This record gives sequence, C-alpha cells and structure tokens, in this order.
Amino acid sequence: MRDNTLKYLLVLPAVVVVFATAIWPLIEAARLSFTVGRLNRPGSLDQYLGWENYAWAFLEEPAFWNSVWVTAVYTTLTVGLTTILALGLALLLAPGGRLRSSAQTLLILPFAMSPALIGVSFRFMFNPEFGLFDAFFGVLIPPLADVSWLADPTLAFAVVVMADVWGWIPFLTLVLIGGLASVPRDTIEAAQVDGASGWRVFRDVTLPQLGPVLAVVIILKSIFSLKTFDQVFMLTNGGPGTATQTLSHYIYFNGMKYGQIGYSAAVAWLMVIPMIFLTYAYAKFVFRKG
Amino acid sequence: MTGRQRKQLWAAVQTALILIAMFIMLVPILWIFLAAFKTHVDVYQLKLFFTPTLENFGIVFDDPYRLGEKLFNSTVVALVTVIIAIPVATLAAYSFSRFSMRGETMMLVIILATQFVPAVVIILPFFVMFRDIGLLDTRVGLILVNLAIVMPFAIWMIKGFIDGIPMDTEEAAMVDGSSRLQVIRNIVLPMAAPGLLTSAIFCFIIAWNEFLFALILTNKNAVTLPIGLALFKGEEGDLWNLLSAAGIIIMAPMFVLALMIRKYFVQGMTMGAVR
Repeated sequence: MRDNTLKYLLVLPAVVVVFATAIWPLIEAARLSFTVGRLNRPGSLDQYLGWENYAWAFLEEPAFWNSVWVTAVYTTLTVGLTTILALGLALLLAPGGRLRSSAQTLLILPFAMSPALIGVSFRFMFNPEFGLFDAFFGVLIPPLADVSWLADPTLAFAVVVMADVWGWIPFLTLVLIGGLASVPRDTIEAAQVDGASGWRVFRDVTLPQLGPVLAVVIILKSIFSLKTFDQVFMLTNGGPGTATQTLSHYIYFNGMKYGQIGYSAAVAWLMVIPMIFLTYAYAKFVFRKG
Repeated sequence: MTGRQRKQLWAAVQTALILIAMFIMLVPILWIFLAAFKTHVDVYQLKLFFTPTLENFGIVFDDPYRLGEKLFNSTVVALVTVIIAIPVATLAAYSFSRFSMRGETMMLVIILATQFVPAVVIILPFFVMFRDIGLLDTRVGLILVNLAIVMPFAIWMIKGFIDGIPMDTEEAAMVDGSSRLQVIRNIVLPMAAPGLLTSAIFCFIIAWNEFLFALILTNKNAVTLPIGLALFKGEEGDLWNLLSAAGIIIMAPMFVLALMIRKYFVQGMTMGAVR
C-alpha cells in the first residue's frame, strides 16, 4: 500500500474514537442546550427553546452567578498558591543530592492519588474531633481551636483550596524542576561572579529563563482548576449551602439531581468558552518546538 | 557571623524546609495508612500508638460493602480502556510522527483540546444516550466514555516516544524491501515498547482514578472503587477506618505504578509542552 493512503488509514481509528467520545458529545451538548431538555419528560430533549436556557442562567439564577464567582475565586487562589509554593519547592529541591532526590521521588505519591480520595482524606484531616490538621491549626491559631471547618462557609472554602493546592504542588514542582534544569549554569555563575545577590540572580536570570515553563504550568493548572469537581464533591459536596459550589458541581447538580439536562448543557457550554482560549494559548506553547 | 557560618546556617534552614514540606505532603497519606489499621474505636482519637488490626480489610470485602466487586470493575474498566486506547493511539502516533498530512496540525490541536473539555460537558449527552440504549450502569458504557479522557494523552505521549526513535533503521529496512506495515511491526514496535508500556501505565492510572463518569453512569453493577468510597457512611457519619482501608486499596497499586514511570509523568501530563 502506498504511504499516501496508509498515513490516513493509520490515523483513522484514532480520529473516529476522538470524534465519537469527545467531539460528538460537545456538539450534542450544544444542541441540548437549546431544548427544554428535562430528563423526566419524554420528547422534551427535542423541544426547541431558543436561547432561553442561557437567558435563564444569566438573568434568573443567582446560584449560577454564585458558582461562577466560586469558580473564579477558587481558580485564582489555587493557581496562584500552587504556582508560588511549587516554585519555592522546586528551587529548594533542584540542586539534587540524596535528600532532595528522595523528596522528588516522594512527590509522585500525592500526584498518583485519585482526586476523590484527596477529598476524603482532607475531610478526615479537618474533622473537628479527630482531624490532624484541625488539631494542628487549633494549636497554631487558638481562635480556630473549636471551629468546625467544613461547617463554616469561608473555612470550608479554605479547606477545598488547601486540598487542591496540596494535590497539585507535586506535579507543578516536578515540571518546574525540569524547567530549572534547562537554565544554563554558566549564566547563573557569571552573574554570581559579578557579585549579584541570590535574589537578583533569581529575578534577573532564572525567572526570565523559566518564563515559558511557568506559562505552560499556569495555563494547565488554570484548566484543571476551572474543571474541579471530584474533591469538591467528596469534601463538601458544594456546601455549606452553596459556599463551595464550583461550576462543574453546579452543572452536575442541575443535570443529574434536578434532571434539567437542557439547562445544564447551556451552562456547560458557557464553561467551554474560557477553555477554548486557554487551549489556544496552550497549543502555541506545544507547537513552539516543532 | 562569618561567611562560612552563614552558608552552613542557610544549608540547615534549607534541609529543615525540605523536611517540613515532605511532612506536609506525606502526612495526609500516612494518616490514611494508620487509620486503616486502627479499630473503629481507635480511629476516632488522635492516637499515634495503637494495636494494629487487619480486620478493616476483611470488613470492606464482606457484605454489605463488597469492595471486591468494585475492585473487579475498576480493574476491568481501566484495563480494557488501555487495551483499546494504546494500539489505536500507536498507529495514529506513528503516522503523525513520520508523515506530514493535510490538516495535521489542526488534527493534533483538536486532539489536544479534547483533553481540556470539562468531563461534565461530555457526560450529559452520554448519559441521555446510554439511558436510551441501556448502557447505564455497565462496564462497557464506562469504558467508552473513559476513552474520551485517555485517548488524547495516549496519542500525544506515544507520538513523543516515536519522535525520539531515529528513522535510519526504518529506512534501511524499506530499502531492503520491507513494507511499511512490516517496518512498524518489526522495528518500530520493539523499539517503542518501553514507551508504550509507560503510556499504558499512565492511562491506566487516569482511568483507575476517574470519578465523575462513574459517579453519573453507575449505581450498582458497574460501580468502581472511587465511587465505592461513598458506601462507607454509617448512620453516625463516616466510617473512617473502613474508608481508609478502601483508600489504601485504591491508592497503593497506583503508587507502585507511578513510581515505575515517574520520569515520564511530567512529559505525559503536559503533552510534551515541557520535557
């Protein structure tokens, strides 16, 4: 067989699978978002409704705006905190040696943990009676000694953010260690010989060189933060009230618990829009090499 | 303080910071490990020393929890997902790596983009369709949707490995009269084998830890391990000793697999944007 035919035949199965499992649902979700789309009402999935689901989300649903706000704050905090802490840890671990290499190896463990399990684990750690972190913070900050973290809207939000940051620091750290390794050593040494302080070397030499890797990490983390569902579901289930209800959780709740498939498909599509921009930005970095 | 003393102090501070960081990263995991061996009395206290017991691991596999069924479902779903995804992805990855096609970049970007589509968007149409054709609460249905999250990773990761294999051996074999498919089977596959295994393990971990699809699509027969965690809620709240035992069963195999492929985690997760 000629290569010219073969090359298309080889990608065909993969293209079919990707189309059927990812592209089709996107298109079908878009269609559903313009229908009445009630799970318990036969025929409503084909009943055209125009833009009403979108209008409903924007104009009539404070809960929608609440979840947008929760997701925005959550994404900002988790991306910022994870990046800063991971950068610090990467700088600390990059030089190598026995202690640092074993620490790098151990970092794989939290990363291989299922996010749902991370949620369970943090609910355990913040249990008011026998949670280890709860006891720890109680000693460290006495006013927090007797509070029930997950029952307080602000503190529950803080726990969800902590669980996310905890789960993602390892991955970001490993990426940044890789990035640090590619910063040329002689540039750093030259700056040191010139008498630049550690901080100046970091700010003027290391950080600019690390720019592209940091950008990749921030985009990727933003995408994962925007999508967050598993931990939130296991940790707080959106509560107390709707204090920790992310967009994914809001969509899940409306679609699966209330059976409003059409409406939740509309909100889901609203969520796809920022993803398109982030993916575009990400793809630029991926193809920069090629 | 002399320069040397200051250096020593700084080194000591760094070591302390590393140890603290490691402690924070490991303590939630260690705490689950400890709790899994505590009795239902000890687990409700902040105890570090206790008489360990294995009874929790017996209880979770017994009625009414029957974690064995969930373990079986998780294993079958993750394994079959990988068995379908890796060969399909390998063929495509080879083609993307070795030939230039019309619309190649477009295809690769779309494949990359599908990884970023929120799972909750993908699952709504699948739920409706599976309800109509009777695939709800089946392992087959779960495998189908899992392909959506695993395929993009597999294609990009394997492409990275094949890109790293020099082309000269292939060209020499072609000159000697081998067909393209023979070249793929006899030369590329053996050389790419470690990379394929790494990709397979990576995808297995993703499928094993998958949560949202299983939560929405299953309720009894096809329930996987992460969803099974919800079982351990008693009338008086969470049964932490059992939750922890189940947690170990979920995470321990993944730890072993992750350590096997730790060098490739970064490359896999970033789809080659960072190497």
